[in-house]
Amino acid sequence: MTIDRQTAFGAALAAGLLVLTSAASAGPPAPQAAYTAMSPEELADYLIFEAGGFDLNAPTQDGGTARDRMVQDRIQKVCSAIGRSGKALDRATAAKISALAEESMVFPEGGIVLGDWKRGEKIARSGFGYRIGRDTDDHTREPPGGNCYACHQLDPKEIAHGTVGPSLANYGTLRGTNDAMLKHTYQILYNAHLFFPCTTMPRFGEHGTLTAEQIADVMAYLLDPASPVNQAALPTAETAQAARD
Amino acid sequence: MFRSILGAACVAASLSTAAFAEQWRAPEEVLQELIDSKESAYLTQSEQNIMMMPDNAALFVAEEGKVLFHEPRGPNAVSLETCDLGKGPGVVDGAYVELPRYFEDTGRVMDLESRLVHCMTSIQGFAPDSPEVKTRHGSTSDMMKLQTYIASQSSGYPWNPPLDHPLEKAMRDAGEVLFYRRSGTSDFACSTCHTQTGKRIRASVLPNVKDPQEWTKAISWPAFSVGPQEVRSSNHRIQGCYWQMRQPQSIPGSDAAIALLSFWTDAARGQAAILPDKKR
Repeated sequence: MTIDRQTAFGAALAAGLLVLTSAASAGPPAPQAAYTAMSPEELADYLIFEAGGFDLNAPTQDGGTARDRMVQDRIQKVCSAIGRSGKALDRATAAKISALAEESMVFPEGGIVLGDWKRGEKIARSGFGYRIGRDTDDHTREPPGGNCYACHQLDPKEIAHGTVGPSLANYGTLRGTNDAMLKHTYQILYNAHLFFPCTTMPRFGEHGTLTAEQIADVMAYLLDPASPVNQAALPTAETAQAARD
Repeated sequence: MFRSILGAACVAASLSTAAFAEQWRAPEEVLQELIDSKESAYLTQSEQNIMMMPDNAALFVAEEGKVLFHEPRGPNAVSLETCDLGKGPGVVDGAYVELPRYFEDTGRVMDLESRLVHCMTSIQGFAPDSPEVKTRHGSTSDMMKLQTYIASQSSGYPWNPPLDHPLEKAMRDAGEVLFYRRSGTSDFACSTCHTQTGKRIRASVLPNVKDPQEWTKAISWPAFSVGPQEVRSSNHRIQGCYWQMRQPQSIPGSDAAIALLSFWTDAARGQAAILPDKKR
């Protein structure tokens, strides 16, 4: 247990919980009596890290252990609390989250360029990668994908697309490919909290779950005029009327 | 005069509704009533599953569980008829919808799975690492047969996990934190997918934790899962979600899993359970 964690648990641990820390996964279950002395957040952390709630020692694809996946950074911590409160994000917190995202941003050395939309399509369709536990994804067998279709519409011909995120059909047609749009798209893929604090969109760049090359390929899938994403007929006055009828 | 008669009639009507709600009803009936009462893309997403509810393969698993429950078993050669699931020894009717709950004899908040393990080891004398106790997955496991039987006896009862004991409250609140807790390589939490109505991951419509009428179906496990063709438990569902979230495998029977179950059962409070259910 690190100094940080001792500080976090503070008084609750002093109330007699230290004896429980060795009883994590094996042996008889620890008594729950001391749980009521903790705040819900402290208890949740205790159940994860000290009470054998998860297989924390399993190896991960990035050379660490499963435990690392449960340790929260600042953005995760703040956005979790906001979500649980059910309140809207206040301006000051939004600005802080956005500033953290800004700090995290690393741009490619050779400038932002579009890669290959065909490779980008494969990445957008693949939900493989980073899953651990019963059936751990082997990254030497297949590169991890971006799983964009889980949440977004992209190619308008694809029916099985998610709707948790906004539709990105015609993303490039509607926005063009000038430098500002390239930068904007790159920033969203790298860390979308810059523009959308506490978004549910994963931070593919900051977390390194997509490589720089993969991000360029996904950007091509979104922005290249030849990409299927940009082949949809744009709504006209007639089609809009037909949709209303 | 008229008003008081009307008032009395209303009281009588609401009393009879309450009495009606406290009795067993077939899962397909409960589901149909929900579908009739509200428009929900989640509840209606699989027409085939709805049609197949009366022939749910999980019903046969429940039958096998019933036999197991009443059969003298284990080194002590006794049945589970003295197992207290919270409503007294051997009482299974409506017991599942009131779990997780605090048990005086163990001093712990327990879910159905951990309580069954407790009864099988302490009453029947099974060793904790015996296959009867240790195997938690698959329609042929004792654990899934017993869970499916016990849960099916709560079909139609409203979810009503007690929160009177401070530990029940503490576990429920910690479970809520876990539900909204973002972490890992993709920043996911349960709430990423389950706090809006009508949203989809790929083609699957997601249930909303804030909508009890959707959430009762979401948490109605054990259910026959059509893809893997087997009955699955709540704990199996939790493991599946953590796998998708790129986070560590959750441990069934751990206090983290029980806390999460306490929160999600509370979120469906008042809505009738659909047990066993059939899911995509």
